[in-house]
Amino acid sequence: MIVDKNTRVVVQGMTGKEGSSSTKKMLDNGTNVICGVTPGKKGQEVHGLPIFNSVKEAKEYDKKINTSVIYVPPLMTYDAAIEAIDAGIETIVVITENVPIKDTARLVAISKEKNIRLIGPSSVGVWNKHGTLGSIDGKEKFSEGNIGIISKSGGMSSETALMLTNSGFGQSTVIGIGGDPIIGNSFADLLELFEQDADTKAVVMFGEIGGQYEEQAAQFVKEKKFTKPLIAFISGKFVETVSRNLAFGHAGAILDFGSGTCDSKKELLKKSGAHVADYHHEIIDLIKKVLK
Amino acid sequence: MNLLEYKGKNLLKKVGISVPPSIVTNNQSYINLSFHKEKYTEFFFQNLDVVIKAQVIGGKRKKNNLIVSSNSYAESLKFIDEMYKQKFNDALIKTLLIERKLNVKEEYFLSIQYHNDQILIMFSNKGGIEIEEISKDNKPITYYVPVLEEFNDFKAREIATLAGFESKQMLQLANFIKKAYNCFIKFDCKNLEINPIIKTKEGLLFAGDAKITIDDSAVCRQDEFKDVLDLEDTSFLNDRELEARRIDLNDHRGVAGKTYVDFDGDIAVLASGGGASLTCMDAIIQAGGKPANYVEYSGNPPKEKVKKLSKIVLSKPGLKGCLIIGGSANFTDIYETLSGIAESIKEVNPKYPIVIRRDGPRRKEAFEMMEKFAKENNFDITLFDATTPMTKAVLHLMEKLK
Repeated sequence: MIVDKNTRVVVQGMTGKEGSSSTKKMLDNGTNVICGVTPGKKGQEVHGLPIFNSVKEAKEYDKKINTSVIYVPPLMTYDAAIEAIDAGIETIVVITENVPIKDTARLVAISKEKNIRLIGPSSVGVWNKHGTLGSIDGKEKFSEGNIGIISKSGGMSSETALMLTNSGFGQSTVIGIGGDPIIGNSFADLLELFEQDADTKAVVMFGEIGGQYEEQAAQFVKEKKFTKPLIAFISGKFVETVSRNLAFGHAGAILDFGSGTCDSKKELLKKSGAHVADYHHEIIDLIKKVLK
Repeated sequence: MNLLEYKGKNLLKKVGISVPPSIVTNNQSYINLSFHKEKYTEFFFQNLDVVIKAQVIGGKRKKNNLIVSSNSYAESLKFIDEMYKQKFNDALIKTLLIERKLNVKEEYFLSIQYHNDQILIMFSNKGGIEIEEISKDNKPITYYVPVLEEFNDFKAREIATLAGFESKQMLQLANFIKKAYNCFIKFDCKNLEINPIIKTKEGLLFAGDAKITIDDSAVCRQDEFKDVLDLEDTSFLNDRELEARRIDLNDHRGVAGKTYVDFDGDIAVLASGGGASLTCMDAIIQAGGKPANYVEYSGNPPKEKVKKLSKIVLSKPGLKGCLIIGGSANFTDIYETLSGIAESIKEVNPKYPIVIRRDGPRRKEAFEMMEKFAKENNFDITLFDATTPMTKAVLHLMEKLK
C-alpha cells in the first residue's frame, strides 16, 4: 500500500540538500524514483536523474509518474503540492516541516475534493518492502513482516519499528503521518487501507495528545470499519500536567481547547476495542497477546 | 507565537475593532509613567476608573491578582507599584496595560481557530469567565467555515442570529465577528480569542481582552511582524530557561536548549527527539516520578552545545536522578554528544544515578568512553543501547530511586 511495484516517483525540491540526500536513500531502498523538479534548474542531474522545471514536464517525460515527494521550503509547499495535483499526481508525501496552518488546511481540503492521497506535512515518509518515500532512514531498523505502523512522530515510527524488529515482528508498511495539528491522511484514512492490505495482520498506532485524529480512529474501529487488532500508544500525558502554555517541539501535541486529552483518547480507543499500551514497550506484549 | 494582550489588541485595532483607551508601560516603576502622566491623570479627572492588567502569557490573571481596578489616582499608583513586585512563572512582571474601565452592560465570548480543513467560530453571549465555565450552562454556538469558502457577511449575520440577537444589535455583532475573522485570516493566526467582548451601556462593542496566537511558520510572510524581533515575549521564562535558550542563539548547528522548561520534580531529563521525549516524560509520570525539566535536543548539535545544555540540566538543585534518553539516531554523533555530557558531569559532580539510553553512529565508542569515565570518577551511570526499549530504561531509573 502507498508504495508498490507501480509506484513511480517525482521528487519536488530534489536539488536541495534534504531532497538530494533523501533521493539517494529512496534509490538505495529500491524505490522507483524517475526524476526531480526544481523550477529554473531544468537540465541538471541529481544522482543521475533528470531535473525538470515543472511537474507537468516531468509527466511528459514519464506519463506513469503517480507519486510526488515534496522537499520544497515551507512557504512554497502549498504551491508545489497544488502543482502536483494539477499535473495529475495521485499520491503526495509532504516531508517539509513548518508549513503554515492556513496553507495546510487549504491543501487538505483540495486533496479531499480531488481524491488525492496526501501524507503529511511534516511526514518522515513511508516504508515497505517495495521501497520508501521520503526520509525514512536506517535500513536495519525495519524488517519485513505483517505489522503496520502509523505514527504522528517521525522518530518514534522507526523506533517502534526497531522495537518490533528486535522482538521478531516484521512490518508490512510504516507511515509517518506528521505531528501537525492538521494533516492529510489521518489514522482512520490509513486504517481503511490496512484493513484491505493482505500483508497486514495487526496495526500499531502512535498517537499524541491534541487534535481529534485518535478519536476518529476509535470511532472507525468501533464502527467495525477496521476489524484487525489495533494496538495504540498515545504520548503527551505529561503536557496535561503542565499548566504553562509552551511549545514542545511537536505542534500537534500542544493542548488546545476542544481537543482530546491523553486519557480521553486512550479511554475511547479501549472502548472501541483497541489494545492500549501505557508504556511504549508494552506494545510488544500486546502484539504477542493479539497474535496468539 | 502567543501575543501579549496589548499586542493582540493592536492587531484588532488594525482591522477596525474598538479597544478601550489605554496606556502601555514597561518601566519598573510608576514614576516613569510621567511620560504618560498627562494622559493617565485624565482618566481620573473625568472620574473614570482604570483597570491595571499585567501583560503575561497565560490565563487566570484575575485569580492571580494580575488584574486590578481602581477609582483613585493615589491608589492606582500603589497598585501599579505592587504589580511590579509580583512574579508570574518565577519572572517579574515587565509590562502593564492600563485601560479606562468601561461601563459594562454585557459580556460575550468569541474564538476562532482551525478545525481540520474548516475554521471553527465559537460564540457565547456569556463572556468574561473561563470557557469551561461558559460551557457548563449553555454550550457556545459553534459555526464551521470550510477553508475553501469565503466568510460572507450573511454567515456572520447567521452567527449573530443564532446567538439570539435581533435588528441593529444583530448587525452590530455580525460586523464585529466579521472583523475578527478578517484579523484571523490576514495575520495568519492560529487562534484568536476575545473574551470578553464588552457591550457598554452606551451600546458600543469593545474587545475587552485579546488572546491571539500567530502561526510561527507564517511569521516570516507577515510584514506586520518583520521589524518586531521582540514580539515573542520571554517574560514567562526563568533564568535557567533563558540561559538554555541562549545556547541556540549564536550557533545554529542542531537544536539544544530552545525547548528547555523547568518543572517542580526531581528527575532531570535530557532527551533527543520530539516523540521520544514526550514518550519518556509520560513514562516517568506513569511510574510515579516527577520530572525536574523538559528539554529535547536534536539535529546533531556540536559537543559544546550539548555540554552547555547538560550543565544546566544536571546542576539544578534537589535532583535525585537523571535520564539521558533518545532513540536510535541516524545522524547525531553519539560519541560527540556523550562526550559533551561527560564533561558536564565532571564539572557538576552529581551524586545521583544517571541512566543513559541511546543508540546511533559511534555508539560503541561512546559507551566504552562513558563506562571508563564513570569507573574512574566513581559516577553511577547505567548505559542501555537500542536493544532495550526506551521506556524500559525509564523504569530502570525509577527502580533505582525506590
